[in-house]
Amino acid sequence: MAALDDARTELVAALGADAVLHDPLALRLYARDASMVEGSAGLVVFVRSAEDVVVCMRVAARHDLPVVPRGSGTGLVGGATPIADAIVVVTAKMDRILEVRPEDRLAWVEPGVFNLDLADALRPTGFTYAPDPSSQQVSSIGGNVNTNAGGPHCLAYGVTSAHVLAVDVVLPDGSVGRFGAEAPAAPGYDLRGFVVGSEGTLGIVTAACVRLTPLPPAVRTMLLDFAEVEDCAQTVSAIIARGVVPAALEMMDRGIVRAVEDFAHAGYPTDAAAVLLVEVDGLPAAVDAQTREVEAAAREHLVGTIRVAADDTERALLWKGRKSAFGAIARIAPHYHLHDCVVPRKALADILAGVYAIAQRHDLIVTNVFHAGDGNLHPLFSFDRSVPGTLERVLAASDELVRLCVDAGGSLSGEHGIGLEKRDFMPLVFTADDLDAQACLRAAFDPDGRMNPRKVLPDGARCGDYAAAALGRDGALPEGTWI
Amino acid sequence: MDLIHPHSKRDVMDALRGASAADTRVLIVGGRQHIDKGNPSEADAELWTTLLDDRIAYDPAEMLCVVEAGMRVHDLRTMLAEGGQEWPVDGPDDATVGGVIAAGVTTVRQLRVGTMRDTIVEMEVVTGDGRLVKSGARTVKNVTGYDVHRLLTGSLGTLGTIVQIALKVRPLPKTARTLVINEGGLELGRRVLDAVPLPSAVLAEPDRLVVRLEGWPEEVEEQAAAARSIAAFGETEAPFPEACFPDATTVAEAAVVPSRLAQLLAGIDRYRAIMGVGVAWVPFEDEGALTKLRARAAELGGIAPAIRGPGGLGDAPIPAPEVERRIRAAMDPAGILAPGRTWST
Repeated sequence: MAALDDARTELVAALGADAVLHDPLALRLYARDASMVEGSAGLVVFVRSAEDVVVCMRVAARHDLPVVPRGSGTGLVGGATPIADAIVVVTAKMDRILEVRPEDRLAWVEPGVFNLDLADALRPTGFTYAPDPSSQQVSSIGGNVNTNAGGPHCLAYGVTSAHVLAVDVVLPDGSVGRFGAEAPAAPGYDLRGFVVGSEGTLGIVTAACVRLTPLPPAVRTMLLDFAEVEDCAQTVSAIIARGVVPAALEMMDRGIVRAVEDFAHAGYPTDAAAVLLVEVDGLPAAVDAQTREVEAAAREHLVGTIRVAADDTERALLWKGRKSAFGAIARIAPHYHLHDCVVPRKALADILAGVYAIAQRHDLIVTNVFHAGDGNLHPLFSFDRSVPGTLERVLAASDELVRLCVDAGGSLSGEHGIGLEKRDFMPLVFTADDLDAQACLRAAFDPDGRMNPRKVLPDGARCGDYAAAALGRDGALPEGTWI
Repeated sequence: MDLIHPHSKRDVMDALRGASAADTRVLIVGGRQHIDKGNPSEADAELWTTLLDDRIAYDPAEMLCVVEAGMRVHDLRTMLAEGGQEWPVDGPDDATVGGVIAAGVTTVRQLRVGTMRDTIVEMEVVTGDGRLVKSGARTVKNVTGYDVHRLLTGSLGTLGTIVQIALKVRPLPKTARTLVINEGGLELGRRVLDAVPLPSAVLAEPDRLVVRLEGWPEEVEEQAAAARSIAAFGETEAPFPEACFPDATTVAEAAVVPSRLAQLLAGIDRYRAIMGVGVAWVPFEDEGALTKLRARAAELGGIAPAIRGPGGLGDAPIPAPEVERRIRAAMDPAGILAPGRTWST
């Protein structure tokens, strides 16, 4: 790999030896993200500034090498898994909050800032950064921007895209641009909107201008339990039908509640078939009114108990139960595979029944904790990969699950993205023309097909020479690519 | 000027395929409400979307509706009101939904309801060469594939004909009130914005202030009391938002960060500004006044396109001209869609 060696020499000269790793351990560590796909990294580069990123892009362009941007590596679909010995550009060290301007309701942050750190830093100003993915303690804004991350509070506040006013981007040829603006309108096409959620395939975000959302004057958090999953699911629609859009509306089934309760001791009822965590916010009067409606909707659907958090401590405890779900499931089995399909709200009850049936058919443990208000499922298969045949059963179950959701009018991913894992399912929801157009628009940013190649679009999506360029990156995909 | 008046998506595809082959320049027209926005552009034909006005799907429990792009805003409003909901976008009644989206219309109430661009969850568009391309999904949340609809929003008909859209809608507020006072200015506007928690809009004019409050009755009561602690507001039943300078032949829509509104509008004797957002509408009598406003907006990091009358978009530089050129080429290879109308050319 002469090109890779030359690139390494040039990057070391420009950025220093400590910024460029290529020892076997580092290459192994950065060969995957939080998904189960393992790829192969050629070099790992830690950038400290936009200028460093420009250097990386120019060196990569000069040697025709692929580039994979990486934030905290918490992605679940292989979006940051390098293939074809790509240069992995890690933005984790670009972790400064550059500017906070409450008077303009915006802040500038570098991509490596953790989501929760930003929210915490903003709190004294009376504002917050609204998107709150469950990974928020460790996931970075750069990663959030690239996956268009969601989170429990996106039901009322919208996903990341609604909270990103502008991004500074280094394009694959090393040129830089600010897409979007601090001002409420910007000249040109909405490149900002196209880059948000593009999974690192268009360029590298070196700074984001985020919208500040006023902290609500009052918040109330409730835990509702149900003896039947179906009643729980129907309560979700019933709340919406009453003209109430809670700040968050999260559902957890018995399996996950038990795992969480052993772990977080939040006082969740372990005998319930399912629980709903509901949060309403706004002015105190609005909170009271919404609480009444939520309670009425739940009673129509045979709610068991309604526990209202009495104070901030209890509220934090209830949320701890929800947010520690993905830590707690480690108690069930060593590996998990988490899905992220999104379906029409009214299909929730049927889909959940389908999820249980699929798990039973393939002899797998499944638990569910998800953003019910958004119709965004997170069925989670727990398993032990070392048991022969298990992985195959998980794959088969996952395939059925995706098709079940698409058949119900749903989509492949609500917030985790497509990456490598869901790429080959894209033709289930898009026509060849749809995918070709997406490929051509991607090529508008990356004509040589070097940015995070092979991700998002299936290999069949062609845009003239672009597809050939991208395909030329490598032949075979890593083993078990889409799991 | 030729007229294309398609009845179906298929008609749009055929017409644009033909136009591309014949090098016929096409201006896409909805309700003609935002036709002035954009740089001068010559066309050989107009494509009217107004017969594409079917309701495709609407289920209030999903908080989504799917309509064809030629549906009028008024008709959409009526349809959604039956479900107790609204599309939280402040477009004129006679505009088409597709027109509002293509023109990138500013939502006056965005402090409370968000921006128009975030309401679009799925779009079908016919490209300049007649391909039907869909992006997004009919779910409130989705990150599947590239959001082609983001590029179409505000593209002024230069990337394709929007033929169908799935929109995120929301419950109509339980109550809505409009407070008004014949005192004005940005300083008073700012004080009201600081005093009233979560207003839908605070609109400041030199000698008038309008506060829109929406929500649960008790909540709106509390907000109104907060506003009245600052100034002696009266109340109006007039529809909100009121038409913007209906007597003016030319109006610019300036956009700067909120804290720079005062610098932008210093010495200007007619304006309407959205406090906390940074949008201000300014009527102007002559090109000289517009040029001055634009220069000032540019100094302040903003823009000031004309939204009514002549004046165009201005000459603010776009960030990645080559990328935009290639986007154009991908969506409209023959370059027949309103050439020159948008910023990129």
